[in-house]
Amino acid sequence: MIEVTLTVNGREVTAAVPARTSLADLLREHLHLTGTHLGCEHGVCGACTVFVDGAPQRACILLAASADGSDVVTVEGLEGAVADAVRESFSAEHGLQCGFCTPGMLVTACDIVARKPDASREEIRLELCGNICRCTGYVNIVNAVERAAKAVHVQVAAR
Amino acid sequence: MKPALFDHLRPTTVDEAVALLAEHGDDGKVLSGGQSLVPLLNMRLALPTVVIDVSRVAELRGATELPGGGVRYGAGTTHAAFEDRLVPDATGGLLHHVAAGIGYRAIRNRGTLGGSLAHADASAEWPVVMAAVGADVVVRSARGERRIAARDLVQGFFTSAVEPDELLVAVEVPALPDGVRWGFHKHARKPGEFAESLAVALVGDSSGDVWLGAAREIPVPVALPSLDRDAIQAAVADALADLTGEDEGEVRYRRHLHGVSAWRAVNHAKEHA
Repeated sequence: MIEVTLTVNGREVTAAVPARTSLADLLREHLHLTGTHLGCEHGVCGACTVFVDGAPQRACILLAASADGSDVVTVEGLEGAVADAVRESFSAEHGLQCGFCTPGMLVTACDIVARKPDASREEIRLELCGNICRCTGYVNIVNAVERAAKAVHVQVAAR
Repeated sequence: MKPALFDHLRPTTVDEAVALLAEHGDDGKVLSGGQSLVPLLNMRLALPTVVIDVSRVAELRGATELPGGGVRYGAGTTHAAFEDRLVPDATGGLLHHVAAGIGYRAIRNRGTLGGSLAHADASAEWPVVMAAVGADVVVRSARGERRIAARDLVQGFFTSAVEPDELLVAVEVPALPDGVRWGFHKHARKPGEFAESLAVALVGDSSGDVWLGAAREIPVPVALPSLDRDAIQAAVADALADLTGEDEGEVRYRRHLHGVSAWRAVNHAKEHA
């Protein structure tokens, strides 16, 4: 067993886990934060994407032991102007159907809006290419990211 | 899709890591970003009993400029660091351009240059790019330090010249010679996937060459020492001469694909200043 201490959604947590435990399993099985979904478990589908030290990473191919000491934010902990805009836009644009991919989509969307606020539709599609959705055909998700980026712009302009 | 049991060791210095490698030999496996290794662990295609996680080794991060315009990159430099220009680019933009197309952003935030090279997959970007630019790879073990030309690094399918007790610590990339321009082409059916074909062209005033990643057919980067379209296609046909298959059309397609890929890299070099 390996003792891992990390900050999850602002709260410091310590857990003793087998070395083979992924960050995703630590979040889901030990901390009961089941918002982080596991799809492919080899880094392709993007459902498990969480912020690690401010950057989106795959929680299924990151060992909990490797994440020791890091600051993790899951879909449950998304907060701030960007996250609010992203959530509202996914709702307004109907950017989900079954919701399985949504945790990873929201984390990735927050990263896109924060890192590339002026991204074109084409760039948004490219940035989203590592998150698979089997329901929507992506159009509404791209709409949602575009809408969130505009909303954040408006907020910044109004300040 | 859960890994088999293994021990996870976390050295914080290169010396510690190298000592652990000497101790565990073939049973040990170095984990850097883990973006290739952990999927293999999850699928139990890799079954090391000891994982030596070097992601905490500060010496492996960062870049230093070398005399003559080259740059020495720590093996733990992430793809995203190249994408975001957090490290200097010895090639005037090739490394930045290439890095932005590796996998997905979430992969690039964790995956590393050294990890990709040690994984020795010729359908990945770095082994082909580093061969093309004539980089050197620096490896260290309890036996000492040695340099391996990136062109000799990949020796077969997922087989590198890095010995089991050696740690890949840095990559030294020379500056491109004056007047040489780079071009790059990657063919994949979906952005972020491993390439079906990728090519790096280095184009000078009167000469140049192209390096091809055609990993489905040839497990090592292939040099095509010409910029002439017909000569490129002939060299590709030559390199893939042994390629056979039940579907003759597929074989013809593969030869054509790599020729076009190389030619597009040449044109990319000519098009962008």
